[in-house]
Amino acid sequence: MSPLAPLVLSTFLFCAGIYGIIARRNSVLVLMSVELMLNAVNINLVAFQSLFFPGDSDASGYVFALFIIAVAAAEVGVGLAIVLNMFRNRASVNVDDVDLMRW
Amino acid sequence: MTDVLLLAAETLEPFAGEPSALVQNSWLIVVLPAISALLITVFGKNMPWKGAEIGIATLAAMWIMAVMVGWETFTNPLYHYEAALNWSPLGGGFVMELGMLVNGLTGMMFVLVTTVSLMVHIYSKEYMHGEERFTYFFAMLSLFTFSMLVLVIANNTLQAVVGWELVGLCSYLLIGFYWKEKPNSDAANKAFLTTKFADIGLIVGVIILSAGVAGLGGDFATTPFNIDLTNRAAVAGALPTGAIVGGMLLIFLGCVAKSGQMPLHVWLPDAMAGPTPVSALIHAATMVTAGIFLLARLYPVIAQSLAVMNTLAIVGTITLFLAGFVAFVQDDIKKVLAYSTVSQLGYMMAALGVGSYTAGIFHLFTHGFFKALLFLGSGSLIHAVHSNNMSDMGGMRKFMPHTYWTFIVGTLALAGFPLTAGFFSKDEILVGAQIWADNGIWTGNLVYWVGLAGAMVTTFYMGRAIFLIFFGEHRGLSHHGDDGHGHDPEGVTHDEHAEDHEVIAHATDEVQMAVDEDGTERPVPAGGAGGGDHHGEPHESGGFMLTALVFLAIASFPVGFTGGFLWTNVGGSAEQNFETWTATETITHTQYPFLDDYHAWGEVVDGELVYEKKDEAYADDAHAEDDGHAEETEHEEEAAGEIVALGSPLAAASEEGGVSNYVLHGAPVFHSDVFILALLGFLLATGAAFAIYGRGKPDRDPTLHMGPLTTVLVEKYYLDTIGYKAIVVPVRDHVAKWASYSSNDGKYSIDSVVAGVGVVTKQVANSTYRTLDQKIIDGGINGAAFSAAWWSDKLKRVQSGDVQRYAGALVAGTVVLVLVIALTVN
Repeated sequence: MSPLAPLVLSTFLFCAGIYGIIARRNSVLVLMSVELMLNAVNINLVAFQSLFFPGDSDASGYVFALFIIAVAAAEVGVGLAIVLNMFRNRASVNVDDVDLMRW
Repeated sequence: MTDVLLLAAETLEPFAGEPSALVQNSWLIVVLPAISALLITVFGKNMPWKGAEIGIATLAAMWIMAVMVGWETFTNPLYHYEAALNWSPLGGGFVMELGMLVNGLTGMMFVLVTTVSLMVHIYSKEYMHGEERFTYFFAMLSLFTFSMLVLVIANNTLQAVVGWELVGLCSYLLIGFYWKEKPNSDAANKAFLTTKFADIGLIVGVIILSAGVAGLGGDFATTPFNIDLTNRAAVAGALPTGAIVGGMLLIFLGCVAKSGQMPLHVWLPDAMAGPTPVSALIHAATMVTAGIFLLARLYPVIAQSLAVMNTLAIVGTITLFLAGFVAFVQDDIKKVLAYSTVSQLGYMMAALGVGSYTAGIFHLFTHGFFKALLFLGSGSLIHAVHSNNMSDMGGMRKFMPHTYWTFIVGTLALAGFPLTAGFFSKDEILVGAQIWADNGIWTGNLVYWVGLAGAMVTTFYMGRAIFLIFFGEHRGLSHHGDDGHGHDPEGVTHDEHAEDHEVIAHATDEVQMAVDEDGTERPVPAGGAGGGDHHGEPHESGGFMLTALVFLAIASFPVGFTGGFLWTNVGGSAEQNFETWTATETITHTQYPFLDDYHAWGEVVDGELVYEKKDEAYADDAHAEDDGHAEETEHEEEAAGEIVALGSPLAAASEEGGVSNYVLHGAPVFHSDVFILALLGFLLATGAAFAIYGRGKPDRDPTLHMGPLTTVLVEKYYLDTIGYKAIVVPVRDHVAKWASYSSNDGKYSIDSVVAGVGVVTKQVANSTYRTLDQKIIDGGINGAAFSAAWWSDKLKRVQSGDVQRYAGALVAGTVVLVLVIALTVN
C-alpha cells in the first residue's frame, strides 16, 4: 500500500491546524488547531510503522503516537484551564485581547 | 732699589703626604654651622640662653677643627687636597662639582672666619641680650658662617658663586635686623641691590672664564669651573686672552661691589645700620674680603694680564686713598671704621694689582682680626654711652679701661705701628709695590707712594677717633630721653638713623641688662636698676664682650708675626711662614707673560697638561740667581755662590733690582726705607692728631672747616648723590615707569601681549569646546545613545504580545529553514 494517502491526509490536517492557529481568534479553536497538528503527526507515525516496519516488536511508532495523545490530553487540560481563567478575567476568549506580555 | 728675593719655584716641593682624616672631612666644618642655624631656629627660643649656647658651642667646636686644619696646611707648604661630588645633569661630559679644595688659602680663611665668628658669637651673647629677635640673630650668624665657609671651601667657581650669594643674603638680612626703622631696611636694600648689580658681572665673568677653560678639551671641558684646573691652564699660558681679560674684569666687577671698592663701596658705610657684631663679622672681617679672596683664588689667571692687574691696582689705590679722607669728617664711630675698612680693602686690592699676592691676603688676614677688634670695641663703647657719636663720648679711658687698651691695640695695628699685625702686612704691600716698580711697571710706584700717604691718613683719622673717644672730658649724655637723637653740633650731615635705632635698641637692652643675673662682671651703674638715672656714667662691658675683645687683641699679634720679617726671630720656621702657608703649587709656578724671562709652566696638549722638566724651564733663572746678591738677611753668609738659603732655603736671590718674574717674593726681609718712611708717617699723623684733638674735643674741628674740601668729604664725593640722581631717580622715574607702561599700561605692552595670548587661548579653547567637545565627542556619544534608543523603539514592536503573529513567524522561519536546508543539502 502506498503511504501517499496517509501523508496527504496528515498534510491536510497539519495545514488546517497551522491555519487555525494563525487565523482563528477564539482561543478554544486555537487549541483545537493544535490538536489537529498533533494528530497529523500521529497519523504519520502510525502509517509509517504499519507500512514500513509492520513486524517490529518494539512498535515505537505506535508507542510514540500513544505518548503524543497522552501529552496532548494534558496540554489541552492546561490550555483549557488558561482559557477558563482568561474568560473569567477578561470575559473574552479572544487571543487578540491578551497581549500583556509585550514591550 | 729694593732687594728682591725670589721664591724659586723648584725649591718648594708640592705636598705629597696623605691628608689627615680631619682635612678629608673638613666639609664637616662647613656643614656644622648650617645645622647649628637649623637647631637654633627650631629649639632656640626654649633654651636658657635662647639659642646662643648652640651657636657658641658649634663655633667653638668648628674653631678647634679649623685651627687644626689651618695648622696642618701651615706646616705642609703647598698643601693641596681636593675632593668633589660629581653631578652631570646636562650630559655631554659636563660635570658639576660640589667639592672642597683645602689648601693653605682655605686653611687661612678657615682660621680667620671661625675665630672672628666665634668671638662675635660670644660677644653677641651679651651685646644683643634682651633683643626681641635674639634667637633669629644667632641663627643668622650661624647661617652666615656656613655661607662664608661654602665660599671658602669651594673648589669651583660655581660653588663659590653660591656661597657668595648666600653671604650677600645673610648680609642683607642682618643689615635690616632693626627693620622697623625704614632707613635700616633702605640700607639693606641698598647693600643688596648694589652687590647684586655687580654679581651679574661676577656670574658672567665666571661663565666667560669657564668657556675659555672648556675650549681646551679633556678634563678642562669636563669641569670648566674647577679653580685648580683653571689656574693650571692659566699658568701653562693656554687660556685665550679674551677669556682672561673679559672673565677676570667681570669677576672683578663683582669683587668691586662685594669688597667695597670705589665707586661701588657706597653700600658699606650704610651697612653700619646693622648691629655692631654684624659689622665686625660681616662688614669688616669676612664677607667684604670675599672679593679679595676670590681674586686670590684665581690669582694665576690675573697674573696673565697686565690690563687686569693695572685695573686692580688703580681701583685699589683710588679706594685706599679717597675712602680714608671721608673718615676725617665722620662723627659716627662706626662710620669711621666703615670708611677705614673700605680703605684697607683698597690696600688689599692694590696689593693684588701689583703682584703682591701674599701681601694682599696677609693684609686680609691681619685686618680681619684687628678690624673685628675695633668694631667690637666700638660696640662696647656704644653699649656704654648709647650713642654712636664720638662727640658724645670723650674721656672714656677712665670708665672703660679694658675697652680702652684693646681699642688702642687695634688702632695701632690698623695704623701700622711697628711690630703690630697691620705694620707687617702693610709693610709687605709697600715692599711688593716697590718690587713691582722695579719691574718697570708704573702702578708699583703709584701704590707705593699713595699707600704710604694712605697709611698717614689712616693714622690720622684713627688718632682723631682715639683722642675724641678716650681722652678729654666726658661729654656723654646722661638723660635717657635725650640721647637718642644724634647730637651734631657741627651740623655734619650723616645718617642719623643708624644712631637712632642703636640707641633705642640698647636703651631697652639696658633696662634688662640691669636685672641680668647671668654672672657677668659688669659693674652695676650707680643709679641701680630701679632708678631713672642709671645712665649717669658709662661703665665697662661685661665678661662676654671683654672676652672677645681681649682674645682678639692678643690674637692680633701672632697673626702678624706669621708673615713678618721677624718670624724666624720669634721662633718660627723659615720654611713655614705665611707665604708658604698660602702658596699653592700653581702660584709658585706663576709668571707674568708681560715681563722678561717668561716661562709657561708646561703646555696643554689635547686637553692634557704636560709639564716641562724643571731643569729646562728654569735653567735661565738658575743662571741669573747664581750671580745674585743678598743683603739684610739673617742667612747672608750661606748665600755665597749658592742658589739657596736667602732668608729661607725656599728663597733665592735674583740680581739686585732685576726683574722679579715670580708671584712669590720669598720670606720677607727688613726694609729700612719702608720702615723709616712708615714710622715717620705714623709719628707725623699721630702728632697732627694729638695737636688738634689731644686736649679734648676742639670747639672748631679743623676737619670740618676745610671749605669746599669738607663739603666734598661730607658729601662722600657726591657718590651717593650721583648714584641717587643717576641711577635711583632715572630708574624710579623713567625705567620703572617705562617698565610699568610696557608691562601694564601700553597698547603694545607686555601685559597686552599676555592678555592677547590669554584671549586667543580662551577663544581657541572655546571653539575647541564647542566643536570638538560638544559636537564631535558629545555628539558621537549622544548619537550612539539616541540611535540605540531609536532602533530599540522600532525593534521592540516586534515583541507585540500577539501570539498568533509569533506563530506565523515561527512557521515562516521553519519554512525558510527547511527550504535552505533542502536546497543546500542537494
